[in-house]
Amino acid sequence: MAESEQDDDQTVPDVRLRGITKRFGDVVANDGVDLTLEKGSVHALLGENGSGKTTLMSVLYGLYDQDDGDIFVRGDRQAFDSPRDAMDAGIGMIHQHFQLVEPMTVLQNIVLGHEPTERGLVDIESARADVEAITERYGFDIDEYLDVPVRDLDVGVQQRVEIVKSLYRGAEILVLDEPTAVLTPQEVEGLFDVMAELTASGHSLIFITHKLDEALTAADDITVLRDGEVAGTVDAANATEQELARLMVGREIDFDRKPRETAIGDSVLEVTDLHVSGDRGLKQVRGVDFAVREGEILGIAGVQGNGQTELVEALTGLRPVESGTVRFDDEDITGTSRRDRIEKGIAYIPEDRQEEGIVMDYDLIRNSLLGFQTTEPYVERGVIDWAAVRDHAEGIVEEYDVQPPDATTEAASLSGGNQQKFVVGREIEHEPTVMVASHPTRGVDIGSIEFIHDRLLELRDAGLAVAFVSSKLEEIQTLSDRIAVMYEGEFVDIVDPEAVTEEDIGLLMTGAALDGSADRPAAKDGWSDGGRPASDRGDES
Amino acid sequence: MLNASVGERIAIAAASTTLAILIGLLVVAFAGYDPAQFLGNVVVGAFGDANALARTLKFTTLFILTGVAVAIAFRAGVFNIGVQGQFVVGGFATVVAILQLAPFLPTGATGGVLLMLLGTVAGVIAGGAYGALPGILKAYGDANEIVTTIMLNFIATGVVGYLVDGPFRGEGNRAPNTARIPEYVSLPRVVFDVPDFSVVGLAVTLAVVVGIAWVLARTRFGYDMVTSGHQVAAAAFSGVNAKRTVVATMTLSGMVAGVAGALFAIMIQGYYSDPAGIGTYGFDAIAVSLLAANNPLGVVPAGFLFGALDSAGSHIRINSDVPVQLIDGIIGLVVLFVAVPELFRMAAERTGLGGEN
Amino acid sequence: MDLSDRGTQLRLGAAVGTVLLVLAIALARGWPLADIVTVGFVERTLQAATPIALASIGGLYAEKSGVFNIGLEGFMIFGAANTGALVWIIGGESPTQADLWVAMGLAVALSIAYTVLFAVLLIRYKANQIVAGLAVWFIGLGFGPFTAVLVWGNRNSPGLVSMTDVTVPGLAEIPVVGPVLFDTSPLVLLTILVAVAAWVFLYRTRYGYWLQAAGENPEALDTAGVNVNRVRYAAVIFSGAMAGLAGAVLLAHAGSFTGTGQTMVNGRGWIGIVAYLFGNYNPLGAAAAALLFGGLDMLQIQFQTVGIQFPNRLVNLFPYAAVVVVLTVWSSTRMPSALGEPYESED
Repeated sequence: MAESEQDDDQTVPDVRLRGITKRFGDVVANDGVDLTLEKGSVHALLGENGSGKTTLMSVLYGLYDQDDGDIFVRGDRQAFDSPRDAMDAGIGMIHQHFQLVEPMTVLQNIVLGHEPTERGLVDIESARADVEAITERYGFDIDEYLDVPVRDLDVGVQQRVEIVKSLYRGAEILVLDEPTAVLTPQEVEGLFDVMAELTASGHSLIFITHKLDEALTAADDITVLRDGEVAGTVDAANATEQELARLMVGREIDFDRKPRETAIGDSVLEVTDLHVSGDRGLKQVRGVDFAVREGEILGIAGVQGNGQTELVEALTGLRPVESGTVRFDDEDITGTSRRDRIEKGIAYIPEDRQEEGIVMDYDLIRNSLLGFQTTEPYVERGVIDWAAVRDHAEGIVEEYDVQPPDATTEAASLSGGNQQKFVVGREIEHEPTVMVASHPTRGVDIGSIEFIHDRLLELRDAGLAVAFVSSKLEEIQTLSDRIAVMYEGEFVDIVDPEAVTEEDIGLLMTGAALDGSADRPAAKDGWSDGGRPASDRGDES
Repeated sequence: MLNASVGERIAIAAASTTLAILIGLLVVAFAGYDPAQFLGNVVVGAFGDANALARTLKFTTLFILTGVAVAIAFRAGVFNIGVQGQFVVGGFATVVAILQLAPFLPTGATGGVLLMLLGTVAGVIAGGAYGALPGILKAYGDANEIVTTIMLNFIATGVVGYLVDGPFRGEGNRAPNTARIPEYVSLPRVVFDVPDFSVVGLAVTLAVVVGIAWVLARTRFGYDMVTSGHQVAAAAFSGVNAKRTVVATMTLSGMVAGVAGALFAIMIQGYYSDPAGIGTYGFDAIAVSLLAANNPLGVVPAGFLFGALDSAGSHIRINSDVPVQLIDGIIGLVVLFVAVPELFRMAAERTGLGGEN
Repeated sequence: MDLSDRGTQLRLGAAVGTVLLVLAIALARGWPLADIVTVGFVERTLQAATPIALASIGGLYAEKSGVFNIGLEGFMIFGAANTGALVWIIGGESPTQADLWVAMGLAVALSIAYTVLFAVLLIRYKANQIVAGLAVWFIGLGFGPFTAVLVWGNRNSPGLVSMTDVTVPGLAEIPVVGPVLFDTSPLVLLTILVAVAAWVFLYRTRYGYWLQAAGENPEALDTAGVNVNRVRYAAVIFSGAMAGLAGAVLLAHAGSFTGTGQTMVNGRGWIGIVAYLFGNYNPLGAAAAALLFGGLDMLQIQFQTVGIQFPNRLVNLFPYAAVVVVLTVWSSTRMPSALGEPYESED
């Protein structure tokens, strides 16, 4: 199957994708994509969620067959039927969801499927020697964990195990699928060091990300995907963030902030010294204080995994807190249930819409009851009035421009943007006092993004207190009246978006305090009159 | 969409039964009996005359009720394999309650009705409590309910078996049975003049089916349960307390199994015997529910199918020299094929039947 | 066995504690312990534990690979009924030891044939594992005794032949250990061998790694280039073979087939499932749990012989109750993550 590429160039690139097109039904996920990965280099694949990055890599890795186009690996044309074929050609992929067997040890995981054996038994000492040779060569710091079950390790270590596993299997070309999404900034730096070691020894890497600075820091070349097409390929040394951003979204990012129409009122939601543990029992939120006031939007920025999820779940009643208080309208609601908070007027646009926000198998009528189970007239004395619910659903569909405009449509058949518009609409229909939103525009098309942004601003103008989490800086800066930056479970600072640059926020997201803390652009008016604790925890960190 | 899948369900039921019976006929022929006669016995045994029909309906009521009990739990994403145990505990509680309360109540029709009601309440409470137990262990102890409910079946059978053998054995009984409940505690003989089936029992069964279908489709409690079954995270998002819902689901499921137990005790047996010798209704019920796609209304025809097969087995036991174990085996095969809808789907696709795909 | 795991320590403690408690009660009540715990008792305990341990190890392998085989009981019934029928067909009224061995071998082969079909339904056609497993139980309860009726005209067989003990010269003379291990059924020794081999295979060979990965994270195994479903087929077929062997061993020790009631298997397949849960999916742990349950079973007989009456029905429930407690109290009994989920490779 290997047919040589007719290439006049002297150096043959490790991977060359030519005109890759992949369709799913009517949707074109990749449209004539070209990409060239030079030997010993890092090629960043940059794009927003849904721009086709993962699809492209799945084609390369043999998970999907392309509808059109060719794959060349080291000059030979390849048609991979399975990941196994791709691996045999020396390609390894580090997925976002690690392919690790949790109860087995690191060493067992690394050698799985390629175990050295001696008289029928796995020769674990020879495996150890092989693995240690690799870890030493590339400076992986995992030797002490080799006999530890994977489930007892941090994600950062698990990721290194994944990389070592690929190297052990002889991968020369590594595809890293959004490897930084789960890492702390220090771990990201560690990863970049590892990447540098790998390229120095002749490996080539494709680095998928949607963060501009990371692409610029770690990559040699950057290909930007937009809506399944290549928006441009640039040399990282000469590119700027502004240029990449323009390629990603197709226009200069509009930092114009819509003018406020109403004044900011009293604080509605107040959080004091909040500590929350995550699923694995590790403390994810460590002493956060803030308040959200009527008619303002508090944006919570930060690299994913710095406690935002746990914070939001604690605010909405989905996760118990370890200590600290959450007050709503001067009432302590720390221990109250999710149901109580819905009824009190705390609406929530969840992070994972397809898991939490909607039931995929339900039509929109049944989905419109989600969260309204105790709301009259939809439910009276425990009995559902489906006719009323249907009106409710049809109202949301019409008001929030959900396509197709038919409430009997099954939620799963809607596009991401329309699902999200439905969720946003439904939550607004609660007529809440507080709106908590987690990544409200993640995986949503541009038109829907603007629609959702406008809705959130309307809520603000209508006097609601809005708190939203996002990892998109431009979104945070466009919408927020104040920006809280979260790092390792704490608020590094709460700043005024008009007084800081994107670089400032980026710096805060790494846990660093801004220079000259005296005249730092803090949001001075951040606290209610009730003598709440000081907002700025930047001094302490 | 709905119609297509209902049609598909019926096709799978028909195909499973036909295939199982065909295999059974092969075994019959292979063992030297007359397959045509055997097949005739199956039909006659299930529907041959009023008595056969009454017997079929008798078994059907039990399969429907236990099937609904399973369906409730499965719809909520909880795997209650313990319906048999809840059925046994409920039935035993019914008999004990009636025996204990009878001396304090008048005899005759009034007392009979009252005792039946109280006995059923006792059965429902006992079945519900026995269902709640694995629910609590799952919600608060993280114990896998599939395993705990299987184990609780054996525990129920063992403990009730011990009780009817010892402490609760009827005076002078040679067999390990409780005393008989009084004569006047029985359902009226309407339409069918048989001692162990009453149309009233069937009416109660259908009322429970309609009630449960209504709860699942039209109440907040049902919506919360079914939503939990689809996506736990979405249910939690909407304010449903997951742990409480698991316990409530298991309790309701056990309560319906308790109704089945009460009906078995009052209508069919009139006393309680060693549960090791009682039919495996609660286990077959899993297949009944699966066949009905866990829809309470669909459980009615699915239960009827199993009732007919069991009834045919009873007939063959008496009227044929074919060993009755064969019919048990054939029912086992029906259950097996019901578990593999994919088999028939693929077969249908391959032969170009199936239609929509 | 890996003793560092806290769950394992707790389990061991509980098992030893149970035994000590029984002994303490016996002492406190002044029961004649010497008459109860005899060499014969230990020997019978080992024999009683043998079929449970074999079925348990089989079921454990299937479950480790991600497939719940709750049909063990049914496969055991088939194993016992087929061994009985075959030994009768081969050896007539007075079969020899050789006939018995041949019959056992053929019965296991038949079990393998059944499980191949079962595995195809579970893996290829994605059958509901619970319902299909229960169905196997029903089919066994029906066709097992049916076979007996066809062969002997009765659900119970006449006396056939039972496995004679093998005496290892010399070693059998060692006090206590000698008669228990070296003057006993060869099937007891076979089971010990199977348990140790199953442990080594699971934790020390590459196939064991694959088995664990198939049940925990099949995708990881798939991307490592191993065919997940092939591993699962092997595990399920092995579980059927072991359950069939367990039934055959049961018959070989009893010497005749009983098809009335719950048949001679009488819940031992289910206890096998309990045993591996109790043993936290460790083959040696499962064998130890089988020993505990077998011992408990035999202890009742010992008590009866010295005239102490127990409500047997209740004592027999101990394993079931114990496993419910174990699952609730120590959530360290982790079932394989991908248990019950069919796997489809993305190839």
